[in-house]
Amino acid sequence: MQRRYRTITDLKINESARAISFDDSELACKLTSMGLLPGTRIEMIRKSPFGSAYYVKADGVRLALREEEAASILLEV
Amino acid sequence: MTDMSPTLKIALIGNPNSGKSTVFNQMTGLRQRTGNFPGVTVEVKEGLLKFPSGHEATLYDFPGTYSLYPTSSDEKVVASVLTNPADPYFPDALVYVADVTKLEKHLLLFTQLLDLNIPLLFALNMSDSATDLGIKVNASKLSESFGVPVVSISGRTGHNTMRLILDLEKMVNRPPVSGNRTPFYPLTESEKQVSEAIRQNLGIENPYRALLLAHHGPWLHFLKPTEKETVLAIVSTKNFQSLRAQVDETLERYDRFIPISQAAVVSPPAFPNTPTDRIDAVLTHRLGGPLIFFGVMMLIFQAIFDWSVYPMDWIENGFALVSEFLTVQMPEAWYTELLTDGILAGLGGILVFVPQIAILFLLITILEEVGYMARVVFMFDKTMRRFGMNGRSMVSLISGSACAVPAIMSSRTIGNWQERLITVMVTPFISCSARIPVYLVLIGLAVPAIKLGGVLNLQSLVFGAMYVLGVLAAFASGWAMKRWLHRREHSFLAIELPVYRIPHWRNVVLNVWEKVKAFIVGAGKIILIVSIALWGLSRFGPGNAMDQADQTAQTEAQQLSLDTVETEGLVQQRRLEASWAGQAGKFMEPAIRPLGYDWKIGIALLTSFAAREVFTGTLAVLYNMGGSEADINDRSENAAKATLRERMKSEKFGDTGKPVYTLATALSLLVFYALSMQCFSTLAVVRRETGSWKWAALQFTFMSVAAYLGAWAVYVLFS
Ligand SMILES: Nc1nc2c(ncn2[C@@H]2O[C@H](COP(=O)(O)OP(=O)(O)OP(=O)(O)O)[C@@H](O)[C@H]2O)c(=O)[nH]1
Repeated sequence: MQRRYRTITDLKINESARAISFDDSELACKLTSMGLLPGTRIEMIRKSPFGSAYYVKADGVRLALREEEAASILLEV
Repeated sequence: MTDMSPTLKIALIGNPNSGKSTVFNQMTGLRQRTGNFPGVTVEVKEGLLKFPSGHEATLYDFPGTYSLYPTSSDEKVVASVLTNPADPYFPDALVYVADVTKLEKHLLLFTQLLDLNIPLLFALNMSDSATDLGIKVNASKLSESFGVPVVSISGRTGHNTMRLILDLEKMVNRPPVSGNRTPFYPLTESEKQVSEAIRQNLGIENPYRALLLAHHGPWLHFLKPTEKETVLAIVSTKNFQSLRAQVDETLERYDRFIPISQAAVVSPPAFPNTPTDRIDAVLTHRLGGPLIFFGVMMLIFQAIFDWSVYPMDWIENGFALVSEFLTVQMPEAWYTELLTDGILAGLGGILVFVPQIAILFLLITILEEVGYMARVVFMFDKTMRRFGMNGRSMVSLISGSACAVPAIMSSRTIGNWQERLITVMVTPFISCSARIPVYLVLIGLAVPAIKLGGVLNLQSLVFGAMYVLGVLAAFASGWAMKRWLHRREHSFLAIELPVYRIPHWRNVVLNVWEKVKAFIVGAGKIILIVSIALWGLSRFGPGNAMDQADQTAQTEAQQLSLDTVETEGLVQQRRLEASWAGQAGKFMEPAIRPLGYDWKIGIALLTSFAAREVFTGTLAVLYNMGGSEADINDRSENAAKATLRERMKSEKFGDTGKPVYTLATALSLLVFYALSMQCFSTLAVVRRETGSWKWAALQFTFMSVAAYLGAWAVYVLFS
């Protein structure tokens, strides 16, 4: 199935992309208040040992995100 | 402190990791204590702030939050207090603490506070790091743009603390500006309508506060039912989309303050590969990370055992000496016994755990201060979620190996109610320091000290197995509770991984002290009360049973021509057997017989409700040891223990004549102690943290059932 957007879960290690929008408003509220905004450059650092969580850098701030959280952040293609 | 607290109230507010607590410690020194926000189990630290002028204020350290749109109970407190001027914690002035090296991320909450129109001082913390990183901030420019005083400080070096305090006093002494200032964030058309309606109906002056009520109406506790109805009605008739509006407001604020911060801050280009990145490449490595974590845990437990031996011995011996001294000096009467066997024994039983608890929390606090705990949360989030918990639960479970009481209190950072509840419910399965003496005696009794393959000591292996059993039980019940509760509620991980820092000694010392205090006050009080009650139950008996026991013992002693010490021991033994506790033991024998226990073990099971280690002391009396309890509970091998084991080995069931202490019984007892909820203090804390006896009762029931079934299975298997 072809998706129109990529999300953080699609990023490879060390790859980065800009966030465009969120597809879950509750998560959007939490993430924007932590400084992850549309336009923020997000770099994938690594995946968690048991999978399902991501270590990313958002404009230099290190964040740990869960699969669902990461998947709610849509990136520019 | 409360009664005499100065009336001027000042609150420290800031994002998590902004260094608020460090600044708080810097401003108040040791003049602080921890309390609870009424109604919710969120901690607030409260300290005395002395101005050089001689005036005083109460300083509160609020939980860290990213915005006034909260997601955890910790964060909700901030929004709830600041929207309610009638709240006892509502501050007269705010100090906003920001990490100046990440100023942009810390301005969101700051500008929200600006719009609440409470006198606000802006403290740019971590100025030392900023200097190191070459970041330059123009404080007067910021002050001009935001219209509030700005001070550049360092909680770590203490730079400008005095200046902060002076400026704060100047600010609170200034007459309040009348009328509303221009808000930083202008409300949108729909926000204005909602805010206006709420202001009129509830008589609120500040438009932003009225808007916050619209957002938080459903959960704010201070609203009267009619007020809540009004707010909800306004929100629904105006079709106000709360979540949408929150996001839009946040983005709009960023758009407004980013130019301001860019104009005031000059920072050199960031290094792509900082020390934190290099450390994380190892510590959060997919394979290496978990391995290192387990290595660190092993080291911590090793340290607890190695370091705590001496202080524990001192405390035990000290109490034994005092108790002996009092027994000799005071008249032989019930109140002397109450003092030595009830109160002193209880106090000793509390204090003896302090070294282990202090050492464990020292190491955990260091890991937390360094920034490692956030990585543990990240690495194990997935694993914990399988079992109904959350990465943050790791901190509680690890702390549980010292004492469940502070461990359960540390679950407050978990935002999701179900995950927090499960963490609270399963933490007591983790083997705490009170179980260690019981394990040691029983293992010494039942497990031969042989080396497997020349290296592994079988006794240590069984000891380790008890810990593993506790962990497995915790995870299994977490899994089961998750299936059973099955609530859908948003759960967040989203956590910031802070840069690694060298821990600040003052933070570490204060935090350890706080945890130890939580144990002494939270657990200690109850241990003491139960210990006194149990003393009464074993000192007194029904009717003249105790006198009869005295006489029987004396006659027996004469027949056997025992010396005075032996006679005294026999008297104690017969008295305990005849006491209320003894009666209860006999009464419950049928119930515990399937586990391989006789009524004497039954008595010990009952008395160990005060604290688990009382088990061994009770057995010592029952088997007529006459020796001091301290020797039995001492962790090293000694004559008293050897004698206790001898006596236990020769014990026979009254009816069948079979030996009581077989391998099967000992293993069954071990399993029982590993799983059972024998700690009133923990139950009391669970009740407080969950807000009802329901969960404490449920926990007691399921842990007891698990212990009973586990012990029974082991007994059947090995006999
Ligand atoms: N270099 C430097 N480090 C600081 C300073 N202030 C605090 N820290 C460190 O920053 C970390 C976080 O500090 P805390 O005081 O625990 O932060 P907090 O804002 O209370 O955090 P929460 O408890 O999560 O709300 C600790 O490791 C502190 O030692 C400072 O001025 N300079």
